[in-house]
Amino acid sequence: MAEPVFVLLSFLVLYGALITVLHRDMVVCALHLAGSMLALAGLFFILGAHFIAGVQVVVYAGAVMVLFVMVVMLFDLKRKNYILFSGGLWPKLASLFFLTGLIAGVFPLSLHLFHPQSAQALKTTSTKELSSLLFTEYVLAFEVLGILLLLIAVGVAVLCRPKREGPADVMNTKKKE
Amino acid sequence: MDVGLNHFLLVSLLLFIIGLFGVMTRRNLLVILMSVELMLNAVNLSFVTFSQFYSLLSAQVAAFFVMTISAAEAGVGLALIVLISRQWTGTDLSSLEDSPK
Amino acid sequence: MGSDFFEITVNFIKIAVIFLLMVQMVPLLVWVERRGSAFIQNRFGPNRIGPLGLVQNLADLVKFLCKEDFLGHKGRKNFFYAAPVLSLIPAALAFGAIPLSSPVTIQAFEWLGRSWGPYTFYFQSFVISIGIVFVLGVSSLAVYSLLLAGWSSGSKFSLYGALRASAQAISYELALSLSIVGILLLFSTFSFSEIIAAQNNPLQFYFFGKQVSIPFLPNWGIFYQPLGAILLFVALFAEANRLPFDLPEAEAELVAGYHTEYSGVKIIMFYMGEYGHMLVASALMVTFYFGGYTLWPFLTPEKLNLLFSSFHPSWNSILTSLILHGVFMLKLLFFLWVFIWVRWTLPRFRYDQLMDLGWKTLLPWALVNTIVTGVWIFLMRSF
Repeated sequence: MAEPVFVLLSFLVLYGALITVLHRDMVVCALHLAGSMLALAGLFFILGAHFIAGVQVVVYAGAVMVLFVMVVMLFDLKRKNYILFSGGLWPKLASLFFLTGLIAGVFPLSLHLFHPQSAQALKTTSTKELSSLLFTEYVLAFEVLGILLLLIAVGVAVLCRPKREGPADVMNTKKKE
Repeated sequence: MDVGLNHFLLVSLLLFIIGLFGVMTRRNLLVILMSVELMLNAVNLSFVTFSQFYSLLSAQVAAFFVMTISAAEAGVGLALIVLISRQWTGTDLSSLEDSPK
Repeated sequence: MGSDFFEITVNFIKIAVIFLLMVQMVPLLVWVERRGSAFIQNRFGPNRIGPLGLVQNLADLVKFLCKEDFLGHKGRKNFFYAAPVLSLIPAALAFGAIPLSSPVTIQAFEWLGRSWGPYTFYFQSFVISIGIVFVLGVSSLAVYSLLLAGWSSGSKFSLYGALRASAQAISYELALSLSIVGILLLFSTFSFSEIIAAQNNPLQFYFFGKQVSIPFLPNWGIFYQPLGAILLFVALFAEANRLPFDLPEAEAELVAGYHTEYSGVKIIMFYMGEYGHMLVASALMVTFYFGGYTLWPFLTPEKLNLLFSSFHPSWNSILTSLILHGVFMLKLLFFLWVFIWVRWTLPRFRYDQLMDLGWKTLLPWALVNTIVTGVWIFLMRSF
């Protein structure tokens, strides 16, 4: 596997993620998140999961993040200075301590837990195998997801519907005119 | 150095931690939602990594499902945030402490 | 990329040539657009500089190069400069993944005192097994350039234009992807070259379990999926932000939409992006519904190979590939002309009409097309 490509892509993923979490300007956050997701699609690609990589670009970078950027641009017109971190010094120090502990604890574990698999060559997943698995063994979950998406679409449409005036209000406005 | 399972898992772990950090520390609803997306992506990376290294195609199916669900989650989340920003004063968590307009 | 020096060099040159092919189509298309619009509106169009006004674009280029490089005082510099470049990249990447002709096979030969192994060069920048998903994904990234341009200009008109553009792109993306599903089901592949190979045959299909063959028609997607072709073409118009869907840059309401604040070379890059999208759109139409680079029964790779069989196999392959590339370009030019033709014939939609068309007409019909295709294929093959 191409090592420099892996290093570059994972650097881009982590850099984008860090800027997303740390930057004050929400538009910059959203754009870096989109970049991070694109680089992640690249990681999927070098792993050999081509279809998942394509779906990652279409769904995340193409649809979800465009939605985010649109919404953020709607809000950001005022350019307020958002509060980045909250709490006093001690909570910050404590969370930093926890974070360091988490990294220090999990990193060695993750290195020893699994057998090294680097010698084995990664084979590309064929889309046909994936889709036949998706439509035979997991077809119920697939259908349920379809229903979920339908429900979400209806729910969002209901949530964002402009409030209609009731019949009484219409009568009132007509009278006023 | 040959790139193996552990390297991908390490990237996934760091990504998850960064996302978790964002969820815990940021005060802005939109950025919190973005951090949640980061965490989901980290999980996806580990799913795909395991599926490729141990030839488990089911894991890729799981990654596929996670993507779908997170797209749905982003849709609902953004709609709610737009509504919240209309009802309260902004998209900041602290503004939720006040009573709605 | 390649195993030795020769292959790598050829591949690099190939990628550069395909990119330049895309970029160099732009002045030609601008000329066709201006002369074509003049023809449609019974005017003369540019006819002063050079024969038929062909050098007019060069004069325009000099004018663009002399423009002031302007950035509004509320603008954001980095994003403002990144946006035009970002508009060019997705179109270039998508165009690079579409096969423009049959692959060239070079036999082993002796050169510079060593033997160079047999090679296969594909007539596209890069070969990806999931080409269609790649093209869809990459072209959906084009929205970012519009959003960035509108937002970083720091102007209300630009921002409105960008928001309209992105809302339009997101709405029509669904119809676009769904209208392709019928073709994917029929040919059951995600790769462009397999779709083209499947169309290089006489029309044959299953009709209640019996195989029906119509020997004088090619096996093109348009005969199976006329509705899908129309839906895809309409959605591609909207994706390329061309009239009648050019709401984002509606002059009467929004000055020039997302590129109001741009000038000089940066606006040229936006034009290149737009025309690049037109090219990709036409190439997709040709590849999915009109047989790609093949023209069965006259110009197919097999027949051309037979025709040139007296040549050396390598030259045979090269000549075949070049002629098939000519076929592809002719089909492509036809669809590009349709793009221009429609632009100067149809009036513009209102914004709510645009959204209605996307969500209430194209999307349901695309869904119906998908379902009917699936059921039809199941019924015809299961008897």
